[in-house]
Amino acid sequence: MFIDKVYRKKIKVKREEVFGFALSMGPVLGFALFGLIPMILAIFMSFMDIYGFTFEGAGFVGFENYGTVLKDPLFWKSIVNTLYMGVATFINIALALMVAFLLTKNVRGKKVFRTIYFIPYVCSVVAITVMWQWIFNTNYGIINAIFTPEGQEPVNWWGRADTFIPCLLIMGVWSGTGYGIILYGAALTNVNSSLYEAAKVDGANSFKSFWHITIPAISPTTFYLLITGIIGALQEFARPQIISGSGGPDNVGVTVVFYLYRSAFQYYEMGIASATAWLLAILIVGLTVINFAMSKLWVSYD
Amino acid sequence: MIKNESGLKLTASKMTKIRKIVSLTLIYTALVLFAIWILAPFSMVIITSFKTRKEASDPVFHFFPEKWSFDGYKEVFTYTSGVDDSEIPVMLKGFLNTLIIVLPPTIIGLFVSAMSAYAFAKLRFKGKNVFFSALLLTMMIPGTIMLTPSYLIYDMLGWVDTPLPLMLPGMFGAATCVFFMRQFYAGIPTSLVEAAKLDGMGYFKIFWKIMVPLSVPALFAQGILGFIGGYNDYFGPYLYLHEPEWYTLQLALASFKGTYSYNIPTVMAGALVALIPALVIYIVAQKYFIEGIATSGMKI
Repeated sequence: MFIDKVYRKKIKVKREEVFGFALSMGPVLGFALFGLIPMILAIFMSFMDIYGFTFEGAGFVGFENYGTVLKDPLFWKSIVNTLYMGVATFINIALALMVAFLLTKNVRGKKVFRTIYFIPYVCSVVAITVMWQWIFNTNYGIINAIFTPEGQEPVNWWGRADTFIPCLLIMGVWSGTGYGIILYGAALTNVNSSLYEAAKVDGANSFKSFWHITIPAISPTTFYLLITGIIGALQEFARPQIISGSGGPDNVGVTVVFYLYRSAFQYYEMGIASATAWLLAILIVGLTVINFAMSKLWVSYD
Repeated sequence: MIKNESGLKLTASKMTKIRKIVSLTLIYTALVLFAIWILAPFSMVIITSFKTRKEASDPVFHFFPEKWSFDGYKEVFTYTSGVDDSEIPVMLKGFLNTLIIVLPPTIIGLFVSAMSAYAFAKLRFKGKNVFFSALLLTMMIPGTIMLTPSYLIYDMLGWVDTPLPLMLPGMFGAATCVFFMRQFYAGIPTSLVEAAKLDGMGYFKIFWKIMVPLSVPALFAQGILGFIGGYNDYFGPYLYLHEPEWYTLQLALASFKGTYSYNIPTVMAGALVALIPALVIYIVAQKYFIEGIATSGMKI
């Protein structure tokens, strides 16, 4: 009887082990197949002179691919372009916080405002880009139609190297704030209200309590937005590519991923593309690590 | 003296009242201005989509169309590329392709993720914490690294120009979804699971009969987010689908833009039509949508 019980329990524990493992493994297996294997392959590929989509005739060339990429001025330009476009991330975070803060005030129609602000987030990048491409169109766009003074040449917004990225930034701020507003909205409602009361008793004005209570309290959200925003921005591709498949005026539309895409699928240099991918990954991981290290200084998890 | 004091009090309360009104006015102004900033591009695009082609490219600008025209929309719903033999309009076909490509991985992936989340939250097994941390770590890996090798593998398998590269990976679930659902399942009392076990329920049955019904809203939120993500995706389809036969709606729209580059109302109508399904889902399921986003972003 007793032995039977122990035995049964053992089987039960074993069953839990088996089921726990089996049920949990889907995403782990998925990552191994579609993440880990390609990643390891990518390391090898970055050290090989692969031309086309085959390993035939490919050999190891050491760091040659990395050298080629690092010596290419266009690669460095693509990094500058990408970082420049990424500026929108910071504007979005600041703007989202301001709007979300205003929404915590005693105003009517909060839900309606929030619904409107979030609309661009739901829209596809293609549709948004098509819309904004027209808005800044030289001859028919609404901006030039309204703002070009009589008798003056309209500005070719997408055709000038100095206006191409600023236009993308405006577009990025338009489409990117909604996400932050929602996250900050949730974070702001969770700030302990007794802290505000205490500050009020201590004679702090609303600006001071915002600076010393609100900002630290929502710093984890800021950190999250910063990390995900930077990782996303560094992998920018669709918007400049849809606007100008050839890379824009003076190549200002060439982001790092665009550069990588061209190496791989227009020049069939898969080795060079893989090296580019790893350089980008190093940049992203590096920035993320710096971010995490710096977060100790300003992010407070109560 | 007394009279004076009460008079002072009155002005003081009046002052705070005025200050309140002023600050509220400022807040409303800012919120309305921001709403206009978001809505203005849409409204201008909508108005333009109803212009005739001639008027939209008229150097003399009219805000509203002189004659409201539906030509753009007609074009969107009737344009066939003529590349393949099918008579189905390109945009409609793109929409159907999108459903075929996005729905199965969204539904299957959701189920697999939820199952995994349940195991991570409620079952004890060896290596659980290691696997879960590893899964979290994968969320930080930029997908760009996998691009070239994945393409090479899919090309060798003969999967390029088929929807398989876009469908298969998603069916194994997603780390973000596991993370979100695990958070949810961790909040369900373990005593419920224990009681079910005493009743003789198996581990899978507990998931199916107890966990899933309890988490329908959370699953719904994740499912909607996943579907919209797939529906709006451009880079993946652009990479793997080069044949118009398999174009998703986003690819169809991009090529539509190329075909009609000088027909502005038609292009605008195309963009708006492509937006409608996602917007309808957003408006109808807004609660789940915003909750899903707010909670998944907050708890990292």
